Amino acid sequence: MSAVLQPGRLPGDGPSAEPADGVAAGGPRLAVRRFVRNRLAVVGLAVVVLFFLFCFVGPLLYSTDQIHTTLTQVNLSPSGSHLLGTDAVGHDELGRLMYGGKVSLVVGLAAGILATVIGTLWGAAAGYAGGWIDAVMMRVVDAGIAIPALFILLVVSAISTPGVPGLIVILGLVSWLVPARLVRAETLTLKNRDYVHTLRAIGGTHTRAIGRHILPNSVSTIVVAATFQVADAILLVAYVSYLGLGLQPPKTDWGGMLSAGLTATYSGRWWLILPPGLAVILVVCAFNAIGDGLRDAFDVRGRG
Amino acid sequence: MFPVRTAERRRWALVAGAAIAVSSLLAGCNGANGSSSASSGSINYALPANFTPNWILPIGTPAHLNTNNVSIAASLWEPLVAYDGSTGGIGWNKKASIASAADFAPDGKSVTITLGARHWSDGKPITSRDVQFWFNLIKANKAQWAGYSAGKAPDNWTALKVLDDHRFTLTFDRSYNDQWMLANELSQITPLPQHLWDRASASAAVGDTDETPAGAKQVWTFLNSAAKNISKYASDPLWKTVSGPYEVHSFSTAGKVVLAANKKYDGGEKAHIPTVNLLPFTTTDAEENALRSGQVDYGYINATDLDQKASFTGQGYNVKPWTGWAITYMPYNFQNPTMGAVFKQLYARQAVQESIDQDSLSKVIFNGTAVPGYGPIPQAQASDFVSPAQKDNPYPFSTAKAKSLLTAHGWADQGGTMTCVQPGTSASQCGAGVAKGTKFRMQVLSQSGSTVTDNMMSAIQSSLAKTGIGFSIKTAPVNSVLSQTPQCTSGQASCKWQLSFFGTAGSWYFPAFPTGDSLFQSKGGSNFGSYSNPQVDQLITESTTSTSNNAVQQYSAALAKDLPVIWLPEPDYQISVVKNGLGGFAQDSLADFHPAQWQWTGK
Repeated sequence: MSAVLQPGRLPGDGPSAEPADGVAAGGPRLAVRRFVRNRLAVVGLAVVVLFFLFCFVGPLLYSTDQIHTTLTQVNLSPSGSHLLGTDAVGHDELGRLMYGGKVSLVVGLAAGILATVIGTLWGAAAGYAGGWIDAVMMRVVDAGIAIPALFILLVVSAISTPGVPGLIVILGLVSWLVPARLVRAETLTLKNRDYVHTLRAIGGTHTRAIGRHILPNSVSTIVVAATFQVADAILLVAYVSYLGLGLQPPKTDWGGMLSAGLTATYSGRWWLILPPGLAVILVVCAFNAIGDGLRDAFDVRGRG
Repeated sequence: MFPVRTAERRRWALVAGAAIAVSSLLAGCNGANGSSSASSGSINYALPANFTPNWILPIGTPAHLNTNNVSIAASLWEPLVAYDGSTGGIGWNKKASIASAADFAPDGKSVTITLGARHWSDGKPITSRDVQFWFNLIKANKAQWAGYSAGKAPDNWTALKVLDDHRFTLTFDRSYNDQWMLANELSQITPLPQHLWDRASASAAVGDTDETPAGAKQVWTFLNSAAKNISKYASDPLWKTVSGPYEVHSFSTAGKVVLAANKKYDGGEKAHIPTVNLLPFTTTDAEENALRSGQVDYGYINATDLDQKASFTGQGYNVKPWTGWAITYMPYNFQNPTMGAVFKQLYARQAVQESIDQDSLSKVIFNGTAVPGYGPIPQAQASDFVSPAQKDNPYPFSTAKAKSLLTAHGWADQGGTMTCVQPGTSASQCGAGVAKGTKFRMQVLSQSGSTVTDNMMSAIQSSLAKTGIGFSIKTAPVNSVLSQTPQCTSGQASCKWQLSFFGTAGSWYFPAFPTGDSLFQSKGGSNFGSYSNPQVDQLITESTTSTSNNAVQQYSAALAKDLPVIWLPEPDYQISVVKNGLGGFAQDSLADFHPAQWQWTGK
């Protein structure tokens, strides 16, 4: 049995003559101007850029051995030779912050994008198809949301120990549900616009309707959701690693560093906790701020 | 449409919460300075987290087998032979025993035990009949007894002959090592008050019911039924007649036990502290909080918290690591289809062992709470079982030596990893079954949840890399590690594991006599990696039956040299935190506690 996509119609939905997308309506230049007007968003962007430079360019300027342990230099406090001290197995903590940051940022970014892509495709298909297909697809989403992501991650981690690619896939697969809901809601509105009906009337395919009209007009929702997904994914990586179920040595990430440094809380070794903790908080806040700025930039309602 | 406002607030709240949490962590919580509960009349002892005492009968059943239950029961009913570590070394503590002498026949096939002139708390003498009562119960109900192992006691005890009220002879099915018999079998006997307990029901008259197997089963059922009623432990007259230094004052089903000194005790280990409060805790964190607030006199902390020693000493405590009678190791899977052939080469195992810096691991990673272990006999305590070969470490740490050992056997460094370039069976080749191009890469499935273990694995990975041996780490909860690393044959799907680690608190705890029949004998039930060496099998058998310790020392030397597993540092059983002024005792490495030895010294 094959399903036939049938554009549905919501009661009360009136046809609209043109896309209401902010970018399309006002142009990218206006969107950039509105983004820049949000100071917090600009600061957020600067923070993210700085952290990317810190993690990817920093090791070229401040080279450390993050593969081998040095048991003669453990738990050293910050000094000229180790600007942020060393950890319990003798790794330079500043170098480790860069090394772990690479993983946190790459996994967070990639998993956030993956989750958004999956969620977008699922939500668009469900919203456009309508009827029982929509009902079934969204119940899958509801069921997925009902199971805490952390629980799924713990179970998966107990079964296997993922590397970086595996972690990206796993986090992406547990994080796509919210974007799916957002895009589905957007699609329900867009599919009843006149230009979609016109496309169908002149023989346009469902794929073309979704790919050329509905998704491009949902881009603002998708982009904003993506920034929040990235922030959430970075936090999820930290959660999983904090619980000791993340990457295996010598690899690490900021959550893993926090977990390893936790026992030093009562010992006054602040350099094992404060830097990775602040890094997670700053980057997550920064991505959230960027998301806020993008929402302002795309939001047609606040435009004057 | 941007339906994200609520989610956004929540997200910001989460971020703020995370910031506050991190700040709180950094600020630290030093805990309240409570007043000490220490007084000369009582002591508060913290039981292990998540454990509540639930058995009083000094005969363990599998459902109630816990060392803390055993410790409580031994304070009430003294064992015939207290063979433990309570005196500082593993040995027979005669002061805490009912028996005063054990004379083995020259042929090692029997022993004559002499009882001390001791009395029950109701004034009746402790006699050979009380031992015979225990013997009859165990013989008739061995399948229900937690200490039973086929072929061992009571199967290998052929008869108990009472010579008089204070002497009896136990005969064996063959000749046994005296020390092994004392330490692993006779130490399980506890004289029971036959004049009160030898009956089929609470209303039945006391007689010689135990003298027939059927009667002994009835007595067993009666005693076990009574022991299931925890709320009656303090009031049931059955439990009032004791031989040990304490009696039960109260026994809560929630886990708190209060012991009171037995004023009629006439043994060698009289209680110094009249009231002992044994306190249960749900978590180690809860117990640590109680310690910080001064509610516990004898407690513990996590090994990872050892660097907080100063905060406890500042509160009037001593931090005393409690060493265990255990060994720690990583078994090789000799049946692994990829690496099994490499593991079977002794030179390869030597190279691995020489790449592990146990001294540094013990001092740095374990904060000095572990000692290097080089063989199958625990080394945290001095004993007569350790061979000079094991003690002297046959394979000292040297990655350079390890590397040259591999290159001398047909391996070459290719891109940082040793690779077999000369397959074959001659002395300069890789060895039987090792194919050309085989990379020396191993993966360990390691116990998760311990920072110390994670750090140790990182350090091992690092030093093995210097030799050119790849070592990847996969972690899982300990139960998962044990279930995923079973004994297997190379064709089985379950045989893909290469190395296994489950020894965060020690891999294997021994009874007093550390035999390796279960661990390293070819058919041993806990021989995870399927190690097999007929000479070692022979030595293990001899170590339990030979009348001298020479056999066990030979076994120790053989396995220190043959490396059936990767030997690792032996960590402490517990990091104890003891109130200043509490002394007079040694922490028993068999993981039992002995309240009668505790005393407030006033220092």
